[in-house]
Amino acid sequence: MRTTVIGAFPKVSDQPGGQELRQALHKQDRGELKDAELDRVHDAVTANAINELEAAGIDVINDGQIRWDDLLAPFATAWSGVHRGALERFYDNNTYFRQPTIDGPISSDGTTLVKAFAYAQSVATHELKAAVAGPITFATLAIDTHYRSLEDRVLAVADAIAADVKGLGAAGATLVDVEDPGLVYAPQHIELAREAYRRIAATGVPIAIQPYFFPADRILETLASFPVAQIGIDVRSRETTALRRLDIFKGKTVVLGVVDARNTRLETASELGAIVDDALKLVPSESLWLAPTTGLEYLPHDVATKKLAALAEAARGGVPA
Amino acid sequence: MTAENILLTTSVGSFGKPDYLQKARNGHARGRVSDAQLIELERKATAEWIRTQEDIGLDILVDGEMYRGDMVAYFADLLDGYTEGGLVRSYGNRYYHKPVISGKLARPKPMTVEWFQYAQSLTQKPVKGMLTGPYTMLDWSYNEAYSTRREAALALAEVVRQEAEDLDRAGAQYIQIDEPAIHARPEELEIAIEAMGIVTQNLKAKTISHICYGDFAAIYPGILDLPVDQLDLAMANYEYRWLDLMDRNPFTKEMAIGIVDVHTHELESVAEAADGIRKGLKYVSADKLLPHPDCGLKTRPVEESIAKCKIVVEAAKVVRTEVAKKKAVPA
Repeated sequence: MRTTVIGAFPKVSDQPGGQELRQALHKQDRGELKDAELDRVHDAVTANAINELEAAGIDVINDGQIRWDDLLAPFATAWSGVHRGALERFYDNNTYFRQPTIDGPISSDGTTLVKAFAYAQSVATHELKAAVAGPITFATLAIDTHYRSLEDRVLAVADAIAADVKGLGAAGATLVDVEDPGLVYAPQHIELAREAYRRIAATGVPIAIQPYFFPADRILETLASFPVAQIGIDVRSRETTALRRLDIFKGKTVVLGVVDARNTRLETASELGAIVDDALKLVPSESLWLAPTTGLEYLPHDVATKKLAALAEAARGGVPA
Repeated sequence: MTAENILLTTSVGSFGKPDYLQKARNGHARGRVSDAQLIELERKATAEWIRTQEDIGLDILVDGEMYRGDMVAYFADLLDGYTEGGLVRSYGNRYYHKPVISGKLARPKPMTVEWFQYAQSLTQKPVKGMLTGPYTMLDWSYNEAYSTRREAALALAEVVRQEAEDLDRAGAQYIQIDEPAIHARPEELEIAIEAMGIVTQNLKAKTISHICYGDFAAIYPGILDLPVDQLDLAMANYEYRWLDLMDRNPFTKEMAIGIVDVHTHELESVAEAADGIRKGLKYVSADKLLPHPDCGLKTRPVEESIAKCKIVVEAAKVVRTEVAKKKAVPA
């Protein structure tokens, strides 16, 4: 049983020196900081995040998405045919993103995340995975004046994501999270998602679908039939029947969201132990990974650290490090 | 209805803090500025904003929230049952201390009444009492103490009710109870309505609720059951698309309509803003339509806050004249 994380890690902390990035971005906003200097700060904060994830004992880490302004930002910035628009609330969070505005054919040259991934590789000593935004999330949150239908838009987005996944694969990524809360927010698009994921999976790079924020109950069986290596399932933050149905994911790795990344209350070892025991009745331990329910950036840095410790301890069977 | 009491202009609540106050707040956080020194500067900035709003020509004023950082954390700091949380990101490079409900909620003493009284003493124009609604307080806090979200929302409603009734007794003609998170979970709209009912049940003042940045379509027309007199809506940021919802289900309350975007440095033209008011007039009569910026202006520098409000006032003047001319022409 391995541990992993999903999404973004807190970019700042309340500790002394913990706000280097925040201060650097303020300076840049005032025209007092060169891009190269901001790049250095991004690298340093990324290295800190990687070090913290590794020190907590997380087996498969990511780069903490320190450079990501929001889930869609790297793609809306890099792809052609789209730009970043007005602020909008990100699902049911008090967190906001800039709505991508599509005004031409979308395409990616596949290099959107390659440089950042290469930097993370140079720092990481644990297994490192990459991440991209999901096709349903991007397509349903965008404002579109170009494509004639949701289907056209989703598939164009999927092709651009596939190009980026391929680029990450060529850069050495052996696993890419596709973060797609839109999939569970709008489950009526699940069959459209099937074709989108077929295109992304056709790159040959192993992918993990990471839907979060909302229960996946209505689409669980369909998700299980998608051609992907891993499925993330939140069994902690909201009422769900998923924990009793995990046996449908035969042949896939289940990334079980067990610590709530959107509430500060710390899970006890016995709470986590009970969830893991239930999961192990339906999924072999080599196919079960434990994770937070979503990105830890929804928590203050100090609480995120405690959640990581709880996660690692749960994977060790309740034995403190 | 006269030209003077139609399209009354207002603002959502917060204004940019002047540099001297921002520096003092930073100094206060580091222990270099005393409570008394900070309060003196907050009062100075409040007085300046009251004078500025009068100079701009706004009709219904706010105290500008010079004494608040975040709209939830301010109240959380003053309520029993809350503890301060660490920093979390809101968007871009904006962070806030997301508070934690860690025990039974109670209000030891009034939280905004003295500020309301002070601001109102500086002007003959009405100043709004400004509160954060119970559902938003819940949604923007971590909840470790109550077993359900409804239970926590109703406990918050009780403390917000006490504050609202104190503002009412202090003479507030308008009490605004903001619920920008109300569409976060559309399935919980009933909880938000139940909680707001507790807050407004005994108030004599006109009641307002500000709603912004979210899927308004997901809560419309259900939101018309929110027990307040006026809904205060961000519209410019959405290119007024929420108005289309009112073709099928007519809007039944007063509407404060956002006609300038508060998250861009760019200034709208008066003509653009006036056009926003005209769009609103298709659905709400001029005596029930109040132009204003989309949201609080605290993220904008002082000069931009002023410029955006001036555009609102000028746009309202343009459309008031049009409405008056139409009235003057016999049918």
